[in-house]
Amino acid sequence: MTELFRFAVTLEAFTDLGFWTGVGVLAGTYTLFTLGLQINVGYSGILNFGQVGFMALGAYAMGILVVEAGWSFWLALPASILVAVLFGLVVGLPALRLRADYLAIATLAAAEIVRLTARNARDLTGGNQGLFGFDGTWADISETIEGWLESAGWDNPESLFPLFLVVWIVALLATAALAALQRTPWGRVLRAVREDEDAARALGKSTLAYKLQSLSIAAALGAIAGWFLALNLSFLTPQAFEPLITFLGYGVLVLGGLANYWGIAIGSIIFWTVQEATRFIELPISAEKEAAVRFMIVGLLLILLMAFRPQGMFGKREEMALGD
Amino acid sequence: MTEAAAAANGAILKVDGLVKSFGGIQAVDGATLDVKRGSITALIGPNGAGKTTLFNVVTGFYRPERGSVVLEGSEVAGAPPQALARRGMVRTFQITKALAAMPVIDNVMLAAPNQPGERLLGVILRPRASHRREREVREEAVELLDLFGLARLADAYAGTLSGGQRKLLELARALMTQPRVLLLDEPMAGINRTLGATLLEHIERLREERGMTFLYIEHDMEVVMGHSDRVIVMAQGRVIADGLPDKVRRDQRVIDAYLGSESAG
Repeated sequence: MTELFRFAVTLEAFTDLGFWTGVGVLAGTYTLFTLGLQINVGYSGILNFGQVGFMALGAYAMGILVVEAGWSFWLALPASILVAVLFGLVVGLPALRLRADYLAIATLAAAEIVRLTARNARDLTGGNQGLFGFDGTWADISETIEGWLESAGWDNPESLFPLFLVVWIVALLATAALAALQRTPWGRVLRAVREDEDAARALGKSTLAYKLQSLSIAAALGAIAGWFLALNLSFLTPQAFEPLITFLGYGVLVLGGLANYWGIAIGSIIFWTVQEATRFIELPISAEKEAAVRFMIVGLLLILLMAFRPQGMFGKREEMALGD
Repeated sequence: MTEAAAAANGAILKVDGLVKSFGGIQAVDGATLDVKRGSITALIGPNGAGKTTLFNVVTGFYRPERGSVVLEGSEVAGAPPQALARRGMVRTFQITKALAAMPVIDNVMLAAPNQPGERLLGVILRPRASHRREREVREEAVELLDLFGLARLADAYAGTLSGGQRKLLELARALMTQPRVLLLDEPMAGINRTLGATLLEHIERLREERGMTFLYIEHDMEVVMGHSDRVIVMAQGRVIADGLPDKVRRDQRVIDAYLGSESAG
């Protein structure tokens, strides 16, 4: 009987640097990923449900160019951004003319096309077997950084720590750049597009051009997040790009708050801390059920947040209430 | 109509044989009219006469099925609204479109033309030009808000304004684009008489000072009498009368149209 109610949480993990480095890499990756959702949903009124598609394109384009085409890692990075942005334009040109809800469906479908293509184009992507061997250059860089850390007095540093450093440098630079961009006249037009497209057009603004730019920036951020996901996993499979990933991004977005770039980083850290910490809850149930319970806990937290602070931690309540 | 002829009779905007229908209903059914440069012209007519649809077609929000729209001598039928706004023809809406979750001052500053910082490349390559223009724009916007008595609300969200204040904000925003022709869809609807009078005063002053042209929709015939050079009357998608206010008021077709609509409605 007592066995049934066994419930234990080990707190050891929270003092373990390895745990926090792992959480940090995920949180940094999802910060980049969700910044893309923020510029679309929070600042342009574009309901992008296909952010994971851009992430997949960034990751696979980088991987394929390095492994199959033999490109340099450094060339593959910008090229993979270009691939994601071009795909964004191809999807966006027809779809951005649609109403917001149809656009959501179109982007969701576009991301599924990317994933299913990755699963079936086995010669290129390795299909479900996965794609390996694109991270040689990164391994060298990582070793160099580890060397610096050692010479700075840290014996035997965490192997993920260099990735943690790089992903957060990139994520914070991107956040700062977007926050600065939002304060320019360009950012003001973007918000006007979010508020009322017809009003913006009546004042001479080419709203479609702004929406395409917004989607392109989201695509680029998705692709960059894709690099870090790829380097973290060190292999790529289509299962890493299920539609669910986009909605984890929405979880981070809701937690951080709409229309606030800096909130995303905080939201992402909290989201992934909870998500990973719940791994250490031990319940007398199967691992599969335990995984479901973890999502239930995260879901419950989001519901509580919606009940008590619907604008998220850093969102502006007025902007939400006045939105429509 | 050639460009020279249009200039000769002083029309800044000419609409000819415009048709727009929705599922078999001819909302605008061959409307023809012209608006003289520097005039204040009222467009009136009973409910469902097609006034707002005409506005939507003329300003590019709807595509016409037939007919032409000539703005300052160039055919512009089918051009998108943003292109027309940049050519100097700007409109306001019957149901105001305040950008609710943006501050009042941003609503007005948004409308300024020639801001290099509105393009991504401009932001990156010409940040100083963008800053300089932004300072000018802010000054102009504050002046306009002052003019309309909205200055103390500059930092409030536009969504917190009253209906009348929103009408004024929309007018200020439209003026910020420095238009040559302004089309106002029921600018006086939903605002009190004092505010309405202020608004009309502004319009008359702008016509005197800047030579701007106004075409405005009004539902109530009596309102337009003292405040327009010319009145155009629409009924059932067509223009049925056009002339001086007093003449139009006594026109039998106009009286019939208004009475007909009232007995039918």
